[in-house]
Amino acid sequence: MAHTDESQRPLAERAIVLAPEVALPAPGRLALWFLAGLALTLLAYLALNVPGPWFPSAPEHFWTAHELQLTRGNGTKSDQEWVLQSPEAGSVVLLSGDADLRSTDYRVFTWIAVGVPPTADVRLLWRNDYEPGKVNSMPIVVESGRLRPVMTTGNASWIGRITGIALAIRGPLVDPVRVRGAIARPMGAVAVLEDRVREWTAFEGWSGTSINTIVGGADVQDFPLTFVVACAVAVGLALVALSRWRARLRLRGFIVAIATLTVLGWLVLDLRWAAVLGRQSVETGNVYGGKDDQGRHLVAEDADLYRLVLRAKDVLPATPQRIFIAAAAHYFRGRAAYHLYPHNVYFDPRSDRLPPASTMHAGDWLFVYQRPGIQYDAARRMLRWEGGQTHPAELKMLGQGGALFQLL
Amino acid sequence: MDILRIALAWLLVWALGIALVRLLYARRGDWPMPHPAWVGGVGFLLGAFVLTLLMSAVSHAGGSFDRLTIGLPMLLVTIGLWIADVRRQGGTRNVATTTSAGWRALVARPAMPSLGWLALLAWLVVRSALLLGEVLRQPLFPWDAWTQWATKARVWFALRHMVPFEPAQQWLTGTAAYFDAAPHYPATVPLWQVWSSVALGRFDDALMNLPWWLLGVALTLLLYGFLRDRKASPLFALAATWMIVSMPILETHVALAGYADLPMACYLTAAALAGLRALQALSLTSGSPTVVRKDDAIVALMLVAALPTIKNPGWIWMMTLLPGLLVAWLPRHGMRIVVAGLAIGVALLFLLGRYEPVILGYHLHFQLDVPWHGLVEAYLSFDNWHLLFWVLPVIVVATRHWLVDRELAPLTAVVGSGALFLLLGFSITSAAVWVEDQSTVNRATLHLAPLIGVWLVLLVRRALESGAPALQEHAHREDAETALPVTAPAVAVAADGRDA
Repeated sequence: MAHTDESQRPLAERAIVLAPEVALPAPGRLALWFLAGLALTLLAYLALNVPGPWFPSAPEHFWTAHELQLTRGNGTKSDQEWVLQSPEAGSVVLLSGDADLRSTDYRVFTWIAVGVPPTADVRLLWRNDYEPGKVNSMPIVVESGRLRPVMTTGNASWIGRITGIALAIRGPLVDPVRVRGAIARPMGAVAVLEDRVREWTAFEGWSGTSINTIVGGADVQDFPLTFVVACAVAVGLALVALSRWRARLRLRGFIVAIATLTVLGWLVLDLRWAAVLGRQSVETGNVYGGKDDQGRHLVAEDADLYRLVLRAKDVLPATPQRIFIAAAAHYFRGRAAYHLYPHNVYFDPRSDRLPPASTMHAGDWLFVYQRPGIQYDAARRMLRWEGGQTHPAELKMLGQGGALFQLL
Repeated sequence: MDILRIALAWLLVWALGIALVRLLYARRGDWPMPHPAWVGGVGFLLGAFVLTLLMSAVSHAGGSFDRLTIGLPMLLVTIGLWIADVRRQGGTRNVATTTSAGWRALVARPAMPSLGWLALLAWLVVRSALLLGEVLRQPLFPWDAWTQWATKARVWFALRHMVPFEPAQQWLTGTAAYFDAAPHYPATVPLWQVWSSVALGRFDDALMNLPWWLLGVALTLLLYGFLRDRKASPLFALAATWMIVSMPILETHVALAGYADLPMACYLTAAALAGLRALQALSLTSGSPTVVRKDDAIVALMLVAALPTIKNPGWIWMMTLLPGLLVAWLPRHGMRIVVAGLAIGVALLFLLGRYEPVILGYHLHFQLDVPWHGLVEAYLSFDNWHLLFWVLPVIVVATRHWLVDRELAPLTAVVGSGALFLLLGFSITSAAVWVEDQSTVNRATLHLAPLIGVWLVLLVRRALESGAPALQEHAHREDAETALPVTAPAVAVAADGRDA
């Protein structure tokens, strides 16, 4: 019976649309279609992305930090890496190495570097024996502080024998850039697949952004696993439809296929995610396992600040006090406040500007941590900060990177 | 010992919630008791909500937070509710019978696919254990957790009562109020942390987050129970539950506890599903739209009431439930009214956008500027949701005949309204920036995601079962008859769901 507010409709309406007597696809067979979809997806990807022969004979060629020389700019070499820093605007850093490679054997060049600013102009430079006096170059894309591989295939100057390579970075490099070396690769099918698998299985431990987004492997991925699995499900569905073309796959069978293939794809992604959770659990256990609340904070990222706050709390009265917090980094402002509660703290969540001195009263406190621009005249017992603001104060505690003042 | 203390404190909360839910479902004896997993899952949510009401009352009455002032009333109320439940069922023997039958139903191995069911259960248990390890060992980690949520917990626990938090302008004038990064945010989440701390006797910013793990368990239970009550097979129900609760961003919010987004997701999902259970009676009674399961309706209303106490957008999420109600009420024209209403609402928003008002802290703009790149990254490229948003359009297209089916139309209306709210929020407010930088898009979507998952599961199931309507009716009758001796022996229900 239909609802009184609803028009009458035939009871068998859906039975006409669907044909329940049609055999549904067997789960085992659907699993095979999923695997076939996965294989076809990867094959199609390789066909589009392997730059030369699928099974090249040349080995990969590495340059370690020791095999690279700093020919221009500032930098220091440690055991395993070059640390480049050049804060002047427009400054150029050049790191070069000798080579003797057949250009046709090597199609992808990768510099292993971290901390590269997104605004930097980064280039791969090389010489060949065809035009020995000419320096050739290709731009390198910076992503998440790392350098993307450079595909040299198709560049007219990547010919003959390569006799020298270099990395050129036009700064400023305010923060240090770390370069571990370089790799020239023939980039066959196996190497391409290895790279992708490495990206998918890269450990993504907890970070400040984890609560907002889970990338699913390496920060930068050429072919994210979610795309791969989604394509495998889609191709698997197409294969199911094709295989049952003669039997005329009905809607119900199609929905069963969607559901089953989705479950299988979900399982693949979930296995990866569970492995990440498992490894994270081990890491968390190694760092925090067996410790009490204070012990955990003493090994956390802000342990230095925490120690300082513990000292400050020893100086402060037990009853809640009004405390202003000054720190250049908003992370430290927030963390200092969090550790200082239940004192009545004030911190600016967005800027490192201190409130006007007129809002501070005698008896209030000021906790300073890694905050340039605040000066204390001990003789006059006077605090001074930007904008010519001053307030009488007494230094109550001085520690590594911070201090506690009581305002007078 | 510390863990035991907190576990006992939260078991008390859970027991209170279960007792309350059992009593609510027993108000009218004309429907079988829901699946014990549903009772357990919803029981935790209601118990945790009642806890915060009690704590607010204690604080406003001038009392201080300690084990006695909070724990004792909870214990007494729980005992009272259980006694009422025993009396209602005519003695302890009946309670024991129904309880043991309930547990049998909860843990009973499915008849056929036991291996798959057990394997899935083991998979969920392992995951849950990993998440518990994170919750109990990881000190408070995510940003907002220590700038705007646990800040209040820390102060209220130390002072043993709630004190106001006010914006910077007020604080700087020298008031006695406190300040943090979001002084206007509601109290539910910090009060949970306070209760953990009270039970523990000290502030421990890892152990106090146990309720986040319990929320994950409760969500798992209520999803499984809901699907079992919809006659899904144990394997189907468990597989669907696993898919919904295994979404990485959801599990991250369990592991990195301290945000209000997971609680919002749990309460919104439970509220909508309880509402759907209530409205399900409409199709069973095949008649008057005034007949609903009042017990489920009361549960739904209580869960809805909790929404704005969790996070300010709870007010909006409350409103997104209304279209579902309207569609259930007016099966013939309801969907058209909802679509027209939403269209008018969107137009009004655009008109309002001219004046750039601020609603719940979000600046409205006139231009529609969908941040496609950020949305594609969040929903499709990254692994926040596994395949949820890949499969969403496929299932919607494949099951389009059942989208406005009488049984599912209310949920379709709720999910559609929620999705529209998210899309508008990301497109015409200042939140668009937070989509491109991936800082908010997934957290906001998390509120609705479990419900989207359930909706897709129900669509698939509806499409599959529609192939044999005659068989289905027969199965339904059998289910109703076999379920009754277990949960409500004194009541008989006819095949169409009405009292015999």
